[in-house]
Amino acid sequence: MLRLRDVRKSRGSGSQRFSLWVPRLDLYPGQRLAVVGASGSGKSTLLDLLALVLSPDPGGELSLRSAQGEQDIAALWRAGRQDRLAELRSRELGYVLQTGGLLGFLDVRGNIGLSRELLGLGDDGSVRRLAEQLEIVDQLDKRPSALSVGQRQRVGIARALAHSPKLVLADEPTASLDPLNAARVMQLLVEQSQARGACLLLTTHDLQLARSVGLSLLGLQVRRDADGGVTATLEGAG
Amino acid sequence: MRAGLMARLAWHDYRADWRLSACAVLALVAVLAPLLVLFGLKSGLIGSLTDRLEQDPGVREIVPLGGGRYSAARIDELRRLPEVAFALPRTRQIAATADLYPNRPGPVVSVEMLPTGSGDPLLGALPQPQRLDEVLLSRSAAEKLGAGVGDELLAAFGRLDGGVAEYQRTRLRVVGVLPLAAFQRDALFGRLELLEAVEDYRDGRAVAAFDWPGMQGSGAAQRIYPGFRLYARDLDAVETLRQRFATEGQEVATQAEAIAQVRSLSRNLGVVFWIIAGLGLAGAFAAMTASALAAVARKHRELSVLRLIGFPTAALLAFVSLQALYTGLISLLLGGLAYLAAETLLNQLFMQQAGEYACRLEWHQYLLAAAATLGFSLLAAAVGGWRAAGIEASEGLRDV
Repeated sequence: MLRLRDVRKSRGSGSQRFSLWVPRLDLYPGQRLAVVGASGSGKSTLLDLLALVLSPDPGGELSLRSAQGEQDIAALWRAGRQDRLAELRSRELGYVLQTGGLLGFLDVRGNIGLSRELLGLGDDGSVRRLAEQLEIVDQLDKRPSALSVGQRQRVGIARALAHSPKLVLADEPTASLDPLNAARVMQLLVEQSQARGACLLLTTHDLQLARSVGLSLLGLQVRRDADGGVTATLEGAG
Repeated sequence: MRAGLMARLAWHDYRADWRLSACAVLALVAVLAPLLVLFGLKSGLIGSLTDRLEQDPGVREIVPLGGGRYSAARIDELRRLPEVAFALPRTRQIAATADLYPNRPGPVVSVEMLPTGSGDPLLGALPQPQRLDEVLLSRSAAEKLGAGVGDELLAAFGRLDGGVAEYQRTRLRVVGVLPLAAFQRDALFGRLELLEAVEDYRDGRAVAAFDWPGMQGSGAAQRIYPGFRLYARDLDAVETLRQRFATEGQEVATQAEAIAQVRSLSRNLGVVFWIIAGLGLAGAFAAMTASALAAVARKHRELSVLRLIGFPTAALLAFVSLQALYTGLISLLLGGLAYLAAETLLNQLFMQQAGEYACRLEWHQYLLAAAATLGFSLLAAAVGGWRAAGIEASEGLRDV
């Protein structure tokens, strides 16, 4: 579905340079992947590349196969087709942010339904169903500010899933939760992604939790180069 | 882009962030309401002054100075000028007087006689004398005589014939009384033929129409008039006619100077207004731009999230612009209400004559102000929107 070959993203220069190198990564529906690595190892950079919000360096291959056929993402970036990328994001992707990333001016129902509304999809009951499955049905009419951190994270997960995207990305979805809540939220995220046949890729520093919910692990190997810069290489990709 | 969704999202955010929204609205109303009042005062005061000038026919009168010699054809020529609304020859001043006898006991009233005819601006909607013996009276003459419309009055015209004083009497019928504003002195307005008849009699000639005795033979064909009654079509025509007479060597008295004064007052007040409006609008525009930029900075995280979810650039622009539009609309409503309250108060304070307003805005002026306000709001928002459009989805997402 998403195919990466020899994709690089560099920031800074000289000894301040940080590069991410993805020699090879293929994402398929139903996959469950966790990228583990210390902070600063490029997890967020990788996620942003996959989420089509960060442009890859020239060279390499980054393409997305969707119902509309094959899309050369790298070419869209080169052509500055921001709105086309936004459209692909809205249809193909769900993104769970570390802190929920909810809109404070909408209630929970509005937040979850936002991705569906943008696509012009009517309410088919999926908002309520998701809220039930994620155990936040009592919170539908509340503002995010009235929710606990754990509840907000569940709302974030519901929003990422509501329009049934093919690819669900999650950036440290449990980092701000206590261990008990973290395990439950992680479990719900994996269950609900799987139930919808989506590919789930998340980043975490909690190796144990990732293993316990049956995620395949990808590692980021960081190495200092001759010029003093740093390159992180994605390893263990299938 | 889904316009309805964006309008709803922008409104939800506008309402949730009501403190910031209220600040923006109040800042705009603080400029808008005084400007509307100023605009209203300008158009009300100037409008009243101009109306007064335009409604007072005396302002448009052009009076020839010194004795002149005009043929009937020459005055007809003047009447045909596009700048002239009304022109009639005058008979000699000395011959244009009449003694009127009141129908009740009282003194004889000596009045001046003025020729009138169709289109006389002094008469307005009053009936014109159709027959030789029909006249209108000025208000002061009518009051001294105790006469009203429909009354018949005895009039006497005198002459000296070879050192012997003679006079003729005739009955005149009053068909109208002029308002005081139209003419202040004692006067009667009659057909030109009446005045010519009196002039003939004074000159010792016989007048067949009244059966007055005298020399036979008519001088009417070559009659020379010493002056004329002439009114310009509008205020602008007064100056044009004044220049025309000046080039012809005919001295005239006009109100051109008074008109020019009102005109220049109107123009200068206009300049004052636009200077104040310009300063106010510049300040308001700067405040609106600052508030749009502040709003974008404040909502950075929300805008990033919208972008991440896949909202296009136009949607982010719309989000910011719509909120500016809401501010503009609410400010217009509040500013309009504040203006109406001020207008009512000012008009009560300054009301001098019915139908005159110290402060007044026409609908099209209010619409113009509304369009300008919304235009400026959107322009200011565009600066913020430009900033918003440049927000990357990956920015600001990870700030806790």
